[in-house]
Amino acid sequence: MRGFLERLLRLDRRWIFLFVLLSVTVPIIVPLGLPVTTTESTRKAFQFIEAMKPGDTVLISFDYGPSSAPENDPMAEAVMRQCAIKKLRFIVIALYPLGALNLANNAVAKITSEYPGLKYGVDYVNLGYKDGASAVMRRMGDDIAGAFPTDQAGTPLAQIPLMKGIPSLRQVQLVFTVATGIIGEWWITQVHPQAGTPIIIGPTAVSAPKYYAFLNSGQLEGMLGGMKGAAEYEKLMRAAHPEMDRFYGSTRDFTATKGMDGQTVMHTVVLFFILLGNIAFVLSRRGATR
Amino acid sequence: MTFDFGQVALVLVFAIVPILGIILGLNSPGLRSRGPILIGIVAGILPILAIYIPKNFVSGNGGMSPRLDAWLIILAGFALLLGVVNVLQNNFRKVARRESGWFFSIVLLTGLFVTGGFGIYGAVSRTGIGFNPDGSSTPFKYMTDWFFQPLQSTIFALLAFFMASAAFRAFRARNVEATILLIAAGLVMIGRVPILEFLAVPFPFLHAAAASGSQALGRLTEWIMDVPNGAAQSGIIIGAALGAASMAIRVILGIERGYLGLGKGE
Amino acid sequence: MKSAGCMTLIGLFLAANVFAAPIDAPATLPPDLPLPQNLIAKDKPGDSGGAVVLTWTDPASLPAGTEIEVLRAEPPAYEWQPVAKVAAGTGTYTDTSAKDGTAYRYGVRTSLAAADSTGAVSVAASTGAPVVSEPVSSHDNWFKVERTNSFVASILFVIIILGSIQMARSGKEIFIRRIPGLNAIDEAIGRATEVGKKVMYIPGIQSMDDIQTVASVAILGHVARSTARYGTDLEVPNKDPLTFASAREVVRAAYLAEGRPDLFREEMVNYVTYDQFAFTAAVSAKMTREKPAAIFLVGYFFAESLILAETGQSTGAIQIAGQADPTQLPFFVATCDYTLIGEELYAASAYLSREPVLLGSIRGQDIAKGILILIAILGIVLASVHVVDLSPLFRTR
Repeated sequence: MRGFLERLLRLDRRWIFLFVLLSVTVPIIVPLGLPVTTTESTRKAFQFIEAMKPGDTVLISFDYGPSSAPENDPMAEAVMRQCAIKKLRFIVIALYPLGALNLANNAVAKITSEYPGLKYGVDYVNLGYKDGASAVMRRMGDDIAGAFPTDQAGTPLAQIPLMKGIPSLRQVQLVFTVATGIIGEWWITQVHPQAGTPIIIGPTAVSAPKYYAFLNSGQLEGMLGGMKGAAEYEKLMRAAHPEMDRFYGSTRDFTATKGMDGQTVMHTVVLFFILLGNIAFVLSRRGATR
Repeated sequence: MTFDFGQVALVLVFAIVPILGIILGLNSPGLRSRGPILIGIVAGILPILAIYIPKNFVSGNGGMSPRLDAWLIILAGFALLLGVVNVLQNNFRKVARRESGWFFSIVLLTGLFVTGGFGIYGAVSRTGIGFNPDGSSTPFKYMTDWFFQPLQSTIFALLAFFMASAAFRAFRARNVEATILLIAAGLVMIGRVPILEFLAVPFPFLHAAAASGSQALGRLTEWIMDVPNGAAQSGIIIGAALGAASMAIRVILGIERGYLGLGKGE
Repeated sequence: MKSAGCMTLIGLFLAANVFAAPIDAPATLPPDLPLPQNLIAKDKPGDSGGAVVLTWTDPASLPAGTEIEVLRAEPPAYEWQPVAKVAAGTGTYTDTSAKDGTAYRYGVRTSLAAADSTGAVSVAASTGAPVVSEPVSSHDNWFKVERTNSFVASILFVIIILGSIQMARSGKEIFIRRIPGLNAIDEAIGRATEVGKKVMYIPGIQSMDDIQTVASVAILGHVARSTARYGTDLEVPNKDPLTFASAREVVRAAYLAEGRPDLFREEMVNYVTYDQFAFTAAVSAKMTREKPAAIFLVGYFFAESLILAETGQSTGAIQIAGQADPTQLPFFVATCDYTLIGEELYAASAYLSREPVLLGSIRGQDIAKGILILIAILGIVLASVHVVDLSPLFRTR
């Protein structure tokens, strides 16, 4: 028994890796359709955008790379779809150096193919990528054209109808930053005090705990924390806009809701191992004291 | 020609002074350390002044502080070149001396030249690194979509495995603090996902109870994240901000020199 | 009465011609609209220029839909041009299109939009000339008034730090509590020396513009001096090129200071790649192959923190981590032997060198933190008993 407990305490991590692999891959192949409960931070974000008026402008900043795309892509797509439905104009920028521009372009291409009525330059614009995130944000607070003189195609901002009347972030009704790392925090600590623009953040789950401090202090209007936050947002979208079922009702394509099945099974597996480890630990300590 | 005080001051401090410092410092070790400290003082004070002084020559478009920001980006670009040269030196040396793992150096160098080559081709041919005019992907975008992105996602996905093995090893009730950590982590892990509904799937009579249990745990999780976690995060953020400000003052005043490789009295 | 009405019409006609703004004739003539009063135009304070703030008093009892039209005239022609329309009741407008140094005149008048039978909207100007301001020009200012609170707080903080440094210079003994992670540095290097394996130091993945990286490179200097002293092998892989350049100079200077320049090799400090996860993969592979005895993960890390720390843990190395940002701290705490939390990272250079001046700044920082704690407690108590809310004092713009 003692030997068994010792072996359990020193379990080869590869067994854990195997169970984790199975717990994530099986639900992708066999979707479970588990329910998603919404949290206050996501509801606040959703209600803020729902309350915006047609013609209001949202700046969507792609501040993440391919590594966190499974978590962050669903957030960006959900909010862009919401903008399309609510007739909100959106400005797309990318500030994360490695891969964000590609992700932004892919997301814009996807949404514009779903909503062919969106007109470039009137309903949305893609300003592309700029280096030096913090300096770019500060500049945009006073003068967007100073940071992005042209859009991604090289058209001067003065010639883009959407950008007329939006000289700085002060004329933007919301900044939605889909972020991994520090760039999301810079929007809150630098742009919000400078320009007063409301901020909603979509961080990875790892960074989300830090942003509760900003939520509590009123520096954030809402937060989509990780893939769970994205799944909550998809649920809220489906409840408010039944036409969203064509994207989120099917389990064929990857959505955050589908990804949550794997996360649920994985949490169960990890909790099982933690329980097992603690039982073995307690029993072995008892055995040692005897 | 108008006299731009800001531009002149920046060129003086960040170009003339370093060049003079290098020339004079060849004979004077004291000057070798004082020059970088002086530049550090000016570079540190300017952004702080720009926060409070809205004068155009300080913080306006083309002012000293935004210009310094732009120079930092340019500097980082040249430093990247330095890094690439170092990578080439180290890996060519490994291959030449057949050091252990030299084959992987060949793979690295191949990747570097192929990807860099596609990027340069995109610039020279003006097709860029995104989509071609006909909607197809440029070679650089192809590499990004089919090599870079999957590889990045793979390494990031390792986190899931490592998190599980770290949790198995670290979440043991060794003492009071570890037990509190264990309980909090367990509650948050259960509260964030519908574990109770998942476990109740084979038992239809438990579905309703599982759903309300899940909701209650979800609310408890929200409270844990909002209150104890939010308070702790705020405390650490404030403390770290004060520490950063204190360190910044030490750097600006030239008291802190460890990052320059200077020790006591240097 | 009739003549007054005629005069009004003539006045309207003249006004329409004198101010050559393109104004359509109204579908129906509005009743006499009173003019705004007390128009004051001045340069917007505390900005970088290009903005003029207008304030006026709106007349009482205006019809619904009335707007205040803002006009601007600039030299030399001084022709009125419409600038904006604001809803009645606003009482203020900021013109952000002004050119610095140009002496503008501003005018405000009431206008009411009337719709004709087709629904087309035409605008009617109010009777008479607009109320005109004194000439005003915009310019940039020396101080951002809305940041006075943070300026005062910053000055106070600097005074406290400098005062503490002065106190330390005068010879007063400064106490600093034990920080286990920093005490363990020599232990870790000693262990690496005993087993004959290398020390690996990773200074985070951010550049030298981040203060955590500066603190990490300062600690690297101390670690490098120890490895030079004991003759232990050291490797410092870098993700950022500026950090790589600084780290190399710091390590070279450390070996020189210890009188062991022969032990320094250029490849000790190397640049890996700028990509976060490629860097992680390379360093993890190096850890697995070379099995360093001591690993330092000090600086600003993101998602790769757990991958690096868990890989290091699997090799059996003693690990010391440190980060000021709280995001990755839980992973370090779970996987590393010692973790420097928050400002312990910034205190490291003072703690390790025991220089009185540096210790004095740590004391000053603690005094400032104590003052903030007292203010927070006072604020909570005052807000809880609904006496006063102190939070507006701390709002920054």
